[in-house]
Amino acid sequence: MNERKYHIRIASEGRALVAIDDFRLAKSAITVLLGESGIGKSLISLAIAGLLDPDELDVQIDGKPYAAYLRSQEAIDIRRNGFFVFQEPSSHLNPLLTLRAQLREGSLAAAPDEEFILKKLWQGSVSSGVESILDVYPKPYRPSGGEKQRILATMAFKKMAASAAHAQESLFIFDEPTGNLDNRLRNEFLDLLVENFRNRMTTIVLITHDYSTISRFTNTYPTVSNHILYRELLLEHRKLHLRDFLPGEYISWLEKRNATTRTAQKTETVLRLQPHVKIFGRTLSISRDTEGRNPEPLLIRKGTVTYLKAPSGVGKTTIVKLMMGLIKPETMSMELGSAVYSEKTDRNVWAQHVWGRQMTMVFQHADEALNQNSKVKDVFNGLPIAGPLNEKTIVKSLSELFEEELVRGLLETKVKYLSGGQKQRLNLLRSLILRTDILILDEPLNGLDFASAAKVIAMIEVKLQSGIGVLVISHNEEVFDTLVAAEDIYYLHSSNPNRTLPDTSKR
Amino acid sequence: MSAFSSILHKENTGLRTRLIIHGAGIILMAAAFWVFISAVEASRIDSRESDNEIQKYLDLRKMDFGDPVDRTLFRESLDVFYTGQTQRNDSVLTAIDNLRQRQFSDPAYKTGDTQDGLTWNMVRRLSGMYLQFIAVYGIVLIIIYLLAQRIAVYRFIKMKQHRESYLTQALELVRNARANRIGSIGGSAVRKLGLLLAKALVKGILLMLLFTPAYVIAYSVKTTIDTSSILFMILLGIVSNGVLIHTANKFFTFLVSESRKGYVQTAVVKNLHASYEWDAPEGIPLRTLLQIKHGFRSHVFQSIFLNARFQFIPALKEHASFLVTGLIIIEMALNIQGHFCYELLQQILYRQYDIAAAIIFGIFLTVKATEIAIDIWEHKEKRKYGY
Amino acid sequence: MATRTFTGNSWLYNLTSKKDLLWLTIWIAGLGVLWIWDALFLNAPAFVRLQTAFLNSLLTGLMVVLFSLTLGWFLGVSLNTLEHSKSKVGFAILSFVTDILRSIPQIIAVLIGYVVLTILLHKGIIRSSFVQMVWIAGTIAIAVFLEVADTIRQRIDYFRTLDFVDAMLCCGIKERRIMNVEILWKNSRSHMLHKLIAIFGISIFLQCSIDFIISVGLSTDVSLINFPMTLGNLLANVDSKQDILALSNLFTEPGYVSVIFTRHLQGLSVAFCIVFSMLCIYMIANGFVRRHKLA
Repeated sequence: MNERKYHIRIASEGRALVAIDDFRLAKSAITVLLGESGIGKSLISLAIAGLLDPDELDVQIDGKPYAAYLRSQEAIDIRRNGFFVFQEPSSHLNPLLTLRAQLREGSLAAAPDEEFILKKLWQGSVSSGVESILDVYPKPYRPSGGEKQRILATMAFKKMAASAAHAQESLFIFDEPTGNLDNRLRNEFLDLLVENFRNRMTTIVLITHDYSTISRFTNTYPTVSNHILYRELLLEHRKLHLRDFLPGEYISWLEKRNATTRTAQKTETVLRLQPHVKIFGRTLSISRDTEGRNPEPLLIRKGTVTYLKAPSGVGKTTIVKLMMGLIKPETMSMELGSAVYSEKTDRNVWAQHVWGRQMTMVFQHADEALNQNSKVKDVFNGLPIAGPLNEKTIVKSLSELFEEELVRGLLETKVKYLSGGQKQRLNLLRSLILRTDILILDEPLNGLDFASAAKVIAMIEVKLQSGIGVLVISHNEEVFDTLVAAEDIYYLHSSNPNRTLPDTSKR
Repeated sequence: MSAFSSILHKENTGLRTRLIIHGAGIILMAAAFWVFISAVEASRIDSRESDNEIQKYLDLRKMDFGDPVDRTLFRESLDVFYTGQTQRNDSVLTAIDNLRQRQFSDPAYKTGDTQDGLTWNMVRRLSGMYLQFIAVYGIVLIIIYLLAQRIAVYRFIKMKQHRESYLTQALELVRNARANRIGSIGGSAVRKLGLLLAKALVKGILLMLLFTPAYVIAYSVKTTIDTSSILFMILLGIVSNGVLIHTANKFFTFLVSESRKGYVQTAVVKNLHASYEWDAPEGIPLRTLLQIKHGFRSHVFQSIFLNARFQFIPALKEHASFLVTGLIIIEMALNIQGHFCYELLQQILYRQYDIAAAIIFGIFLTVKATEIAIDIWEHKEKRKYGY
Repeated sequence: MATRTFTGNSWLYNLTSKKDLLWLTIWIAGLGVLWIWDALFLNAPAFVRLQTAFLNSLLTGLMVVLFSLTLGWFLGVSLNTLEHSKSKVGFAILSFVTDILRSIPQIIAVLIGYVVLTILLHKGIIRSSFVQMVWIAGTIAIAVFLEVADTIRQRIDYFRTLDFVDAMLCCGIKERRIMNVEILWKNSRSHMLHKLIAIFGISIFLQCSIDFIISVGLSTDVSLINFPMTLGNLLANVDSKQDILALSNLFTEPGYVSVIFTRHLQGLSVAFCIVFSMLCIYMIANGFVRRHKLA
């Protein structure tokens, strides 16, 4: 396979951000780029695509200044014929232009296949259909995160069609294009990606933390598998390396986990949420069947994992925030321990009895959930913990998820200097140290590489033995299905499937 | 739908609430001023009645209250007519002395004004001054809004062109000459250096001028220009007190902030023009500084500009208030007779606090009217973009 | 962005890459040059007055910054707490009052403060110069503190839109701590410092302007000589006004420039002090924004 090797250095104000000598990019192939969040996947990709700002960063590619790279024919071809789908869809759409206008701006004006692509990405969607959103000006709450991601993907596929004649010189990079999509929509996207690749044999890089992409590609596209490469960026001995990731590593791990049958344990129920909840003018209902025909209360039991599933945009994050008392519903009834909580419960009651005491929640974006300007040891300040929280306790806690040799050095490090995966682990630890009865996990594997994800899963299993009840929401279904008994899986349904809830995850 | 009825439409709840708050503020302040003015008027009436009583004594013929003999005679006469009321008689004498003192020193007694307070005549007089004040304010506000945008856009584009400052270019020239070990800088280089230093000096002086308080500029040209003319006031309002530069800086900040947002990157990957060179094929035509709102089509800057402008509209309120402060300073500091704000100062000096309160209320209304107008404008823009 | 002219690790490179520190250096250096020039050419009594005026203005400006920070922090946090409390009445009232305060031009608020000060002076309630300066600083702070409150509210509102606040609440961290320590102290110091630099500049401007305005006189019993000596006060002095008026001679006699910097030094020095300081403070604030990437 024809490969281009890059030697890349990126620094900011004298501080090295990325330094890699062997970043290999396979031509006419799909490279699935893995690695923990914050390690440099996006920066490297942006550098190659010619999208970094030389005023803000000091960039060198192959020993030459960035300006020289930008003037090279390679970079000109990439910019002219390629596309980059950015990670955060909300901030990458112009709030003062309709989505329709943005789909037809610049080099996309004459690009074909728009209707076909939109139809493919919107078919069977929970929302009311793409036509209803094309004439809106994008806001934080409308369209949803998943819809915005699909709009950006549409732009990329349009560009692929438009630059078909220059497929060999082009480069298409998709940075976390499925983070806001449920499994069905993610699969639609991957199908379209592979179809386009087959037709044009263009160079594609797919940056993702969703390891179930491996399963999808392996099981669904075996004939294209020799054109799909899995590469992982990792930091070893303080140096960044790109290694080949063997899909078998993940698949065999998954198979081993699947081999263990999970049965529901009849332990004490610590939380019961009545099946119907009214919020923002809609009714959300919970059931154990996928169609939602038989609503049932959601139960969280001691020492078990409860898994709440729903398509993108239905309201999984909304309902867990509601359970935590962070947003006020119109109607709800929840039993937690011996107390009953409803829409009338005062905020002070939640603060005094629930938050950090009976229940806690780990949010999916560690960058937002943690104070970036705090030192690691200060992250634990202010927690309502009985007994002294000294350095020894913190070190012991950190050792559960961090390598021992790193722990001492971490204490004085500011959170902003940790990698994305380290932040997510710290985010988790802050909640675990509270030893609450219930732990809610919102996309706990977000930003983690495979090794860290496996550690987190193992740690959850250990914690279950202490009697903690866990509620998980995650689109990593094939991973969490190995952790949960079938009886502990619930489905969330909305009364008006054509209206999506406000994006309370703010992405 | 008329403009007014559209405000009442249920979709405009946010604007309606803001207008109600503004309205309530105006009513409350009007009530507060009314109470204050009434209290001052009541106090003036009491004082006038008391003065009239005392004036009768001052009008006594052949009585000189500056003469100690006359004073003693008067005091003893009071004791005769008002026996046993020593305190009352003492206070009459004190009141006479006070009135004499005021008639001598208080400027309010010297102007020939009747000191009747807020009469209809005074209101008519103030109205003329107020209309002039609003006219000047309106003209200056519009010019500053237009100029500030263009200055900010020009500065932003220069920043993107990576042009060094004149001083830095001059230092670079000297450094290069020394590095090349040239004993002396050549003729053309000297001319270039001179030109750069001159440009730097002119730029520095212009910048200082924009920060100079209005009264300093006015006093420095007082003997050559008529500083009481309306045209000069408008010019001063635009150029001085730092209003223009702060407003331009605010807009520039929004441009920089918008240029860092993700949608700009998406526009770049869609191959919109992204060069900032003047008149280059994928750059920016210089003439677009004139037709600024839609002059950057097919360029990423169009989105940056429109988004920055959208953010700038509510921020204009703060700058409008600062502009009013600037105009007040100009009118007061330049002692321009017959101008609204100078009249405020005069009335404070004359202790005509009711008239001063009315003038302050007028200024308050000006600021409130600006806030209301900007809120309506902001609302209209938001509705355009689906907010 | 660091200027490309000076590269490497030189102190000059470090200074030019930090525009706020560069302009702070220029400000101090500029005032230093002025001090030396005045020491050589300005008469001694005027020189002493100029120094006193500058230090008083500086001290008043610093007091304005301190008062604004205190008032602004209190108001910003209070408004935020009331906005998210069960009853919205407190929030509605406080918002309404601040809305009215915002509509009063700063100079009018300061003028009212001076009128009251004049009355207090006339009645002999306030005598000490320092207390007068505290009063003046307090008056100016009331006119400008809303900007600090707005900054604080913006910062808290920004973090509320993220998972930041919710994540910490869920861990049982008290809301008071989240607002004051996690958001404002740890994540907003640069923003607040930038706002305070701007307020320092505004306070100098307002002080000088109001002192100049009241040189007309707010009362026959009290005049400028009753107030502490400040830059505006000194500029309003008859001698300084004459010096400024002399600048217009340059239009008709350009040769006068050789004389003006020695003969009309008091007024020019005060004017230069004011204008140069305001320019430098503006540039420091801008440089600070750029260095800390606040915009």
